[in-house]
Amino acid sequence: MGRVRRVVENLAIAAIAGCCACSGEDGTPSGTTAVIAISADPGHFNPGITTAAQVHAVADSLFNGLVALDAHGNPVPDLATSWDVKEGGKAYVFHLASNVRWHDGEPFTSRDVAFTFKEVLLRFHARTRAGLESAIESIETPDTHTVVFRFRAPHAPFLARLDVTEAPILPAHVFGDGDIERHRANLEPVGTGPFRLDSYRRDDRIVLARNEGYFKPGLPRLDRLVFRVIPDATTEILALERGEVDYVSQLRASDAARLRASRAFTVVATPNGPGGGNCIMTWIFNLERKALAPLAVRRALVRAIDRREILEKVLFGEGKVAKAPFSSGISWAHDAEALEGQKYDPAEARALLEKSAPRLRSIDVVHFPTFLKYGELMKEQLARVGVDLKVRALDRPATVSTIYVKRDFDTGLVSYCNGNDPEIGLRRMYHSSEIGPVAFSNGAAYRNSIIDALFEGAAIEPEREARGRLYRDIQRRVTDELPYWWLLETTSLTAYRRSFRDFAPWSGQFAETASASP
Amino acid sequence: MSALPSLVLKRVLQSVPLVSAVATLGFVLVHLAPGDAVVALSGEFAHEAVQDELRRTYGLDRSLPAQYLIYVSRLLRGDLGVSYYFQEPVSRVILERLPATLVLVIPSLLLSTVLGVLVGTLLAGTRQPHRARAVIAVAVSSNSVPVFWLAQILLLVFSVRLGLFPVQGMVRARSELSGAALGLEVAWHAALPLLALTLNQVALIAVLTWTNMEEELRREYVRAARSLGLFPGRVRRHALRNALLPVITTVGGRIGALFSGAVLTETVFAWPGLGRLAVLAATNRDYPLVLGLFFFMTLAVLLANLVTDVVYGLVDPRIRTG
Repeated sequence: MGRVRRVVENLAIAAIAGCCACSGEDGTPSGTTAVIAISADPGHFNPGITTAAQVHAVADSLFNGLVALDAHGNPVPDLATSWDVKEGGKAYVFHLASNVRWHDGEPFTSRDVAFTFKEVLLRFHARTRAGLESAIESIETPDTHTVVFRFRAPHAPFLARLDVTEAPILPAHVFGDGDIERHRANLEPVGTGPFRLDSYRRDDRIVLARNEGYFKPGLPRLDRLVFRVIPDATTEILALERGEVDYVSQLRASDAARLRASRAFTVVATPNGPGGGNCIMTWIFNLERKALAPLAVRRALVRAIDRREILEKVLFGEGKVAKAPFSSGISWAHDAEALEGQKYDPAEARALLEKSAPRLRSIDVVHFPTFLKYGELMKEQLARVGVDLKVRALDRPATVSTIYVKRDFDTGLVSYCNGNDPEIGLRRMYHSSEIGPVAFSNGAAYRNSIIDALFEGAAIEPEREARGRLYRDIQRRVTDELPYWWLLETTSLTAYRRSFRDFAPWSGQFAETASASP
Repeated sequence: MSALPSLVLKRVLQSVPLVSAVATLGFVLVHLAPGDAVVALSGEFAHEAVQDELRRTYGLDRSLPAQYLIYVSRLLRGDLGVSYYFQEPVSRVILERLPATLVLVIPSLLLSTVLGVLVGTLLAGTRQPHRARAVIAVAVSSNSVPVFWLAQILLLVFSVRLGLFPVQGMVRARSELSGAALGLEVAWHAALPLLALTLNQVALIAVLTWTNMEEELRREYVRAARSLGLFPGRVRRHALRNALLPVITTVGGRIGALFSGAVLTETVFAWPGLGRLAVLAATNRDYPLVLGLFFFMTLAVLLANLVTDVVYGLVDPRIRTG
């Protein structure tokens, strides 16, 4: 045994010596570099033509929005240094920073803003097009550093959809001619952002270098960002623990709990992340299915689910049980008492089922493979009331097509991100015009003309307090009808090495202010 | 000697209908999968009009037969189309990733063959049932555990516990190396994925060589050679040459299996090769890229079979002379 150990030790030493031979002079450039783990290659760097998370995870650091959003979702200056809301919310006037240059040296002007909205965002950016295309009347540029947006009716949520993720500003002089979706600049991006693209090796790494001419004094503080593509979540965590990467986002709750125990890492839970903000894990009832059409059946199913157990066993306590159909992150619209009447009560669930659907034996649930643990636990809970939940984990495109296009499902499990304003993230779940082949729309196929009217009224109401009242009314009404069951408010979990600080994981521009601790 | 070129020609001609069948089957399979590329391209919450526009841009609004005709006519011109996801020609995307996969697949093919033949030959005729049984046990288990599990165990032991090898990637994210230093860096990163792929393959070769050797050693010519007083080593060499024929066939046939093993190994080790490209292409319904990879892998397997036939011919004169 002793001999074996000696051989192993010698081998180990030889291997370490071998490693040192290549790590002593390993060509690491001087200055501070943060290595960011991402789970998928972005494919391109144009955040204006897609809402795909993998593009924004990298490209948002190359661009800016008119405004940025702070940790609480409040608008703060970005490319616009100040703004006025006029005509009762029907006109927004933005005053642009005058010292901004594109990465190629050209000055940034109001022309870029008008071009980006008209030619890119309102055509290709799915969320921005859906939210603004029909609302905007005109975009004017009275001078090179002023932009005026005019709306047909007051549009209260506008400022919440102008950050770099929702509305990145692109260079008119670069994109001016040609096919924007397949433009060369999608791979050779020219932005105004804190970093510029240095090199790109597909599925391996993307290197961004500090933009020396960035318009915000003293920023960015890091010299380089290296994005490393690591598709496997376990490998990602091992790489973080071994020091091969410095920053991991979209952590699994189980990993977050483990990393929190270590002194080497900062773990941050934010309501917003690269996938969206203020997300609620939601159980969709397909109201077009006969079995689920009776309200009593849905009330029974809701009572059979122990959300606290899901929070503890699936999320390890990282998140909270939903108290309302609208996220608590939108505090002025959230109705904290909405769901109080809906308690976990398996006995009542069984009684309700016996009375209203004695022959209901099984239903299916469709979801992404990443939600398998939810599906399995809910299957266990429903078995206790005599319903067999058939778990159908499908890959992303197949899930979207099954739920929203083919509508071949009984129930679905989807994370609905509410965003910073109900008009952006919630209307699509409830308005009858949102039933259709679009991902993450009204999956329940819920129709209620009163709800439609309330959403339409809230969108054009300029006063936040009055809007809040309308939204709370909506929440009480949909709770009575249960087109969905709102399970948990989830958070976006990020971990990074303690040797770094001031990352902003809630923002697309998470590294603008980050620095390495001395 | 003239039989060999005509054999090659025959094989190439035979592969023409095969390749066209594979190309068609691939097209049908890809379009049978639910969901389409548009969701992945436009991102979440896609507006219907945005999706329609994307479908028009990429020709997905046309009927399937029309799309098929376009695909075939491009293929005949050697054009694999443009990847939706990467906005680059498919052939460029594939060729760019090929070296990373070859760095794993070729050494692992060579290593597992040499090791397997060595172990199999040593085992043959030893009449040591315990040792043989032990080797079989190891061989069968290493061949039956899923390669991604094996990969994760190797990671835990050699990277996390012993700290000898990096967890992921082909080069460290921070380094900017070139030349020989880059080669060393890649080799250091390749060690564990290579080991995972090789361990998975070596068992099969070893057992195959062993059983063939046992069979050969029982043949008349071996007994004759022995009775003539030839050295045992010499006898084994004669037997090995014959025993290797089925092994060569198997090694050639392993190319396809190695590529599919690479899919899992590359995912675990974040290795930027073709295997991961295939996963990304499939999950994003990047039809041109999926079909391009399908086509490319088919060619690789056909080429491997061709090489096998030629090697077979070189080793076995009966084939060479027809």
